[in-house]
Amino acid sequence: MSDTATTAPPARRSGFAALELDTRLLGMIGAFILICLVFNVLTDGRFLTPRNIFNLTIQTVSVAIMATGMVFVIVTRHIDLSVGSLLATCSAVMAMMQTQILPETLGLGLGHPAIWALTVLAGLLVGTVIGAFNGYLIGYLLIPSFIVTLGGLLVWRNVAWYLTDGQTIGPLDATFMTFGGINGTVGESWSWIIGIAAALAAVGAQLMARRKKAGHGFPVKPLWAEGILAALIAGGILGFVATLNAYDIPQRRLARMFAARGEEMPEGFTASYGLPGSVLILIVIAILMTLIARRTRLGRYIFATGGNPDAAELSGVNTRLLTVKVFALMGALCALSAVVASARLANHSNDIGTLDELRVIAAAVIGGTALSGGLGTIYGAILGALIMQSLQSGMAMVGVDAPFQNIVVGVVLVAAVLIDIIYRRRTGAK
Amino acid sequence: MATPLVELRDISIAFGGVKAVDHVSVDLHPGEVVGLLGHNGAGKSTLIKCLSGAYRMDSGEIRINGERVTINNPRDARAHNIETIYQTLALADNLDAASNLFLGRELTTALGFVDDDAMEAETRKIMGRLNPNFTKFAAPVSALSGGQRQSVAIARAVYFNARILIMDEPTAALGPHETQMVSELIQQLKSEGIGIFLISHDIHDVMHLCDRASVMKNGQLVGTVDVKDVTDDDLLGMIILGKQPGAA
Amino acid sequence: MAASRPAVQFNLISEFKRVTWLNRQPHAKGGTGNVWEDTIMKRRTLLGALAATTMLAGPALADGHAVTVGVSWSNFQEERWKTDEAAIKAALDAAGATYVSADAQSSSAKQLSDVESLIAQGVDALIILAQDASAISPAVQAAADEGIPVVGYDRLIDDSRAFYLTFDNVEVGRMQARAVLEAQPSGNYVMIKGSPTDPNADFLRGGQQEVLQAAVDAGAITIVGEAYTDGWLPANAQRNMEQILTAQDNNVDAVVASNDGTAGGVVAALTAQGMEGIPVSGQDGDHAALNRVAKGTQTVSVWKDARDLGKAAGEIAVALANGSEMGDVEGAQAWTSPGGTEMTAVFLAPVPVTADNLTAVTDAGWITVEALCQGVSGGPAPCN
Repeated sequence: MSDTATTAPPARRSGFAALELDTRLLGMIGAFILICLVFNVLTDGRFLTPRNIFNLTIQTVSVAIMATGMVFVIVTRHIDLSVGSLLATCSAVMAMMQTQILPETLGLGLGHPAIWALTVLAGLLVGTVIGAFNGYLIGYLLIPSFIVTLGGLLVWRNVAWYLTDGQTIGPLDATFMTFGGINGTVGESWSWIIGIAAALAAVGAQLMARRKKAGHGFPVKPLWAEGILAALIAGGILGFVATLNAYDIPQRRLARMFAARGEEMPEGFTASYGLPGSVLILIVIAILMTLIARRTRLGRYIFATGGNPDAAELSGVNTRLLTVKVFALMGALCALSAVVASARLANHSNDIGTLDELRVIAAAVIGGTALSGGLGTIYGAILGALIMQSLQSGMAMVGVDAPFQNIVVGVVLVAAVLIDIIYRRRTGAK
Repeated sequence: MATPLVELRDISIAFGGVKAVDHVSVDLHPGEVVGLLGHNGAGKSTLIKCLSGAYRMDSGEIRINGERVTINNPRDARAHNIETIYQTLALADNLDAASNLFLGRELTTALGFVDDDAMEAETRKIMGRLNPNFTKFAAPVSALSGGQRQSVAIARAVYFNARILIMDEPTAALGPHETQMVSELIQQLKSEGIGIFLISHDIHDVMHLCDRASVMKNGQLVGTVDVKDVTDDDLLGMIILGKQPGAA
Repeated sequence: MAASRPAVQFNLISEFKRVTWLNRQPHAKGGTGNVWEDTIMKRRTLLGALAATTMLAGPALADGHAVTVGVSWSNFQEERWKTDEAAIKAALDAAGATYVSADAQSSSAKQLSDVESLIAQGVDALIILAQDASAISPAVQAAADEGIPVVGYDRLIDDSRAFYLTFDNVEVGRMQARAVLEAQPSGNYVMIKGSPTDPNADFLRGGQQEVLQAAVDAGAITIVGEAYTDGWLPANAQRNMEQILTAQDNNVDAVVASNDGTAGGVVAALTAQGMEGIPVSGQDGDHAALNRVAKGTQTVSVWKDARDLGKAAGEIAVALANGSEMGDVEGAQAWTSPGGTEMTAVFLAPVPVTADNLTAVTDAGWITVEALCQGVSGGPAPCN
């Protein structure tokens, strides 16, 4: 951009540039598609089956949810090394809530319909309070976040251990377990309904933004460009739904479902899973976090503080309270991740979330979040998580030795940051 | 004389035993430009940061329109229509001009979301007045030139109807053309009845732009003079020797 | 086993994985490989008898494609599993089946993803070394949905749809006591137990008591000392043994130690008092322990040959993939887990290695004759 500093940008762009696409996003999507294609060839076409894509999305959710919060933490020039441990503590608390405290101590009885909701609330509360406490230590007592959360990594991992005596707790509440993925899918028709509604909403939002810009007299994209974008977005959403809907529930599972209802499965009956609930949660979180980042004062202050803490402070931003808010949000997201992760395992296991802090940070960083602060996107972090999980799953499928799997992930992490730095230097951005 | 717009009375602030500002009193009247002169470390920026809310003074009092006020943070200062253009500009480099201009005072939609389009529209208006060549509304300010960045910082200070404006070295990073723009702006703001504190190294600037000048040395006020009564050399003598002209 | 030295932990995070007693690393020194055996369990020996069923079934499925068996390891970082892997591979090769694997790197969450990947790759049977007995259940569910049989390898998978294959660990305790009792049918006994936080320690102790009970009741032997060994550490075993010796004025005739590491500590304490040579038990087939057996300072090291376990797992997986019912597997028995799950299981018998059968370990290539006989002259075969 600096090359054109003195010349006004042309009022109308033509061709590809008129789409005004985020080239970084395109690059990441390109890298992701490349990874998928390579694995697809190496696995004789098994990688890009609806079934594996279904698996991949479910496997990504827990880390991706936390990665969205880590974006805010890193953007404000902090780090959170305690997310995996915090997840474990939240998971431990929730496991005890739903298997012991609520059904027995409070006498609700196992399977009570309120159990899952109270459990999730308790987990969110614990996560938020612990996160806020971390934020207080960092923001008000000015202990470096690295130290606070390194301590937190030890403390909360072992609080979880202490709470549960290190035992695996389960099985969890039946409703609670539907948040895990495969046990909580919305089915084919609802998937289409949700997909079509989402596509309409996305196109509608695009139109409204255009109308608003035009109302202020700002330049807008040519109509054909808007049309192509709308088609891409709607096509992406519906394509994703179609892919997941193409994964049929295995016949044995169907037969068991019919048997459980005391019915005979009709000959040739098929059904598909559709969108998993956990993936819907991730999508909702992604939208909410993007709204916070772009459309709220909180988000604006987070990015301003990351870009220049002194400037934010001098502009009247309470950066200390902001730190508390950012870490509290991170804590709440850890709790939500704990819901998904423990529900997926159908148990709270003592090792839950181990090393997740590294995966979460790596996802955020691969997704373009700069450790120097001020830069990062929610969608980037989610794509980062998806890329990491694809690499891991893909390599597991190909049969790459475990040490090489980790070596590859490490190399990809560093390479991604290097490419990002080069890209920013080329485009003149910071 | 009418009640001063700002009265800084007996302000003191110390950092770890060092008295950065030592019982300094300065007044500012509406439509007046008061220059603050002194070496680096003389305490002029520190004094002014007590007024802008960046520092909390240890003792002394601040009166605005004769009423005693408490300024604990930048929000308090803004509430009293005190705006500051810092030497560092205090811009968040990763945000665009509009976001910086409205930082801490975002325009919101009915639903409480920040209204970027409205803020951009306002920014376009004020930049059209201050710096008509400015066109990069979508770029982060890190991509702007020094003068463009300065105009964003100035726009931020004047947009919100400041009554009291603090300018810390506003021309330090500017070329001659842009410096001229700043001095025109100061004349215009003066005529609107705004009081301005101008911190500067540059005696020429002070002689040219200010009505009165206060000189500080080692945290203490050397003296305040009407610039039309003194010469460049008199001011230089105050800065270097720490003595009032004619006192020697 | 000697190969079971705890993997060097390079980072402090992984320390926190060595926690839950449910997913504890079973072959850390003195671990018996499984938590779940109880004393009610009936032992059935098997050792190689499986091959018959497997071969009859043949290597191909009804639709003609070759069998692929997926193995999900919990933590391949531990050296010992390489031996198991080689044995599984050999068994699969012999049956004309293909081996694919994934390593969960001690994460129950990754193991679930791994199993999903293996299923997506189209495996016909799964062998799972579970990181966590309960948290693996969604993976078993997914396999069951696809009609893929699951063999729980070495560690229990608390799910009736999974086949359970492991060594008979209570039998380890019995073998230890039996060998010591044979060598010293009367006198003062000391029981050096495993780690107090490890339930295995008590299972072993239970097996030992079964064998010793009659002699205790008859007054032939007296248990004069009994101590847990914190963390299974030889140094702690040595200190405990020294204190017992002091308290008993060295009137000790035999020591039942629960593994080779603690046995090493015991022998060191005995040697300091010039008492080496009294009967001492152990388990794992540690090289140092086998050397002590050759020297005569240790009576028995109960050896669980991972190659038997791996071979059996490969053969059972192929048999199940070809449509055998779990109950039809040679040596299979009904068994109730401590969690109350009705399961089908095969328990392999470990081998008590004493001075009489030391050639077994050298013949099997487990240890070289030189290593076994180091410093031994005129000892038992093969050190003569």
